[in-house]
Formats: sequence, C-alpha cells, structure tokens
Amino acid sequence: MIFVIFAVLGGVLVSVSRQINGRLALSSSAMEASFWNHLVGLIFITVIAVFAGGLFAGTPAAAPWWAYLGGPVGVVFIAAGSWLIVRIGAAQTAMLIIAGQMISGVLLDVAMGTGGNLLARVTGVGLIVAGMWVSASGKTQKANDKT
Amino acid sequence: MSAPAINPYRIFHFLAAFGTGGLLTLMVLFNGTLAQFGSLFFSSWVPHLTGTVAALAFLAVLRPKRASTVRAPLWAYLGGISGGVTVMLTSASMNSALALSGTIALGLAGQMTFSLFADMRGLFGLPQRTPQMRDYSAFGLIILGSLILIFFGQGSA
Repeated sequence: MIFVIFAVLGGVLVSVSRQINGRLALSSSAMEASFWNHLVGLIFITVIAVFAGGLFAGTPAAAPWWAYLGGPVGVVFIAAGSWLIVRIGAAQTAMLIIAGQMISGVLLDVAMGTGGNLLARVTGVGLIVAGMWVSASGKTQKANDKT
Repeated sequence: MSAPAINPYRIFHFLAAFGTGGLLTLMVLFNGTLAQFGSLFFSSWVPHLTGTVAALAFLAVLRPKRASTVRAPLWAYLGGISGGVTVMLTSASMNSALALSGTIALGLAGQMTFSLFADMRGLFGLPQRTPQMRDYSAFGLIILGSLILIFFGQGSA
C-alpha cells in the first residue's frame, strides 16, 4: 500500500516540479529554469548519495556511451516543459507530453523489435490520437488567458 | 470539422508538447540503460551533472532574454528537489509488487489529477485555467489509451 502512495506521489511531484520551473521561467527564461532545475537536483542527489552510499556501485564504465546522453536531452525536456506550462497550462502540457511519450515509446519498441501485442498497441495509440484530436479540434482553451 | 477555430499558435504548442513527450522516451531509454550498469543514484546523478553543463553551454550560446527584471521567489529555484525525490519514490515502487507498469500507470494518474487541480487553482503563481468538458474527454481518451499500452502493449507477444 505504501508503494501505491509512493507511485502516485511520484506523479504529483513530476507535476509540482514542472510548475515550479514554469514559475521560474516566468521571471527568467525557460533555459535558465532548466539550468537551476539540474544544478539544484545535482546538489540534492549528491548529498543523498553521500549519506546513502553506493553512488558508483556496479560497472558504470561498461555502459554504452549513448546511455550518458540523458542529461542534455533532459535539459531540453525541462526547458520545453517550463516554456509550455505557462502557455497552455499544467493539464494540457502533462496530457500532451504523456501522449508523445506513449506513442514514441511504441515506435521505439517497434524499431528495436521489442515484442508486443499488436491489437493493444493499435487500440492504445488510436485512443491517444483520438484524445489529441478531440483536444485540438476545440476552440482555443477557455482560460484566463486570451490567446 | 471545426478547423476554423484552431489557432496556429495552439497547434504549435500542441506539437511542441507532443514532441517533448518523445524526448522523455529517449531519457527513459538512456537513463534506464545507465541504471542497468550503475546504481539508481548514479543513473540520476549523471544526467543531472551532464545536464547542468549542457544547460550552461546552451545559456552561453543562446543568451535568452530574461522575461522580467524582478527576481523569482526563492522557492522557484527548488524544482530540482521535487525531481530528485521523484526518482527515489519511483525506484522504490518499481521494485515492489507494482513493478514498472504499475508505477508508470499510478504516476500518470497522480500527474494528471494534480495538474488539473493546479490549473483550476492557479497554483505556484501560474495562470489559472478552468478545464472544459472537451478537456476532460481528451484526458480520458489519452489516459485510457496509455493504460492499454502500459498493461497490454508489451510482454504478451
């Protein structure tokens, strides 16, 4: 039961993080918000890892070189999220990022030849595309902004 | 259908957000691969380290204009802590009976519910928005599609 709370809270914190970064982007820029997000996160994880130990456990040198590219991709990811959340809101941002993650995940699985259920994949992607279409075909989101 | 109502800026934001989701897939692949060789701490520590360097490089090259001369409140600099805690919570629940699919599904639910609530209240100094019926329908379809992919899309080949 505690893990259910952990998992849900993890999702809530993803949203909180995006909102805090979005607020910072409002006063600076999306890229600056991304920089602070990474620097503060780095300090935080370093402190925790020093206390918990095991930062360099395993055989990290054996990992393929491209596995080390998550950082630069993450910088663009956080900057984009901070830029978007101010413009289209937390819910729309989250919804479209989820849609993009899910569909690109299926494409990646297909490209890498990971086995999967074709019917489920077609149904899942179809529902997501339908949801995006429902959202896009509406008038501009009625909100307290005027765009 | 109601094509004339579509605002071109909205479509641009829409596509940008969708593409951003694709970046997340790459991050999961890269960081997850790193976690197979090093510890979970390491697989979160490395991208934060290289990300900090990459962000500095981007800032030096792009020199983005600051939106305001007024400093943001101090708490606005702490988004990274929330991200760091997320890594720990999700790694803990991934290794429980929930496994990866359960963790992702519950995480999506938490993220959507809290985002809707935050929009309604205008939390953290962001613009307040009232989701419409159409938004709820779109969310419902996307979450349902995601759940099908998470629980039935893989493994049962």
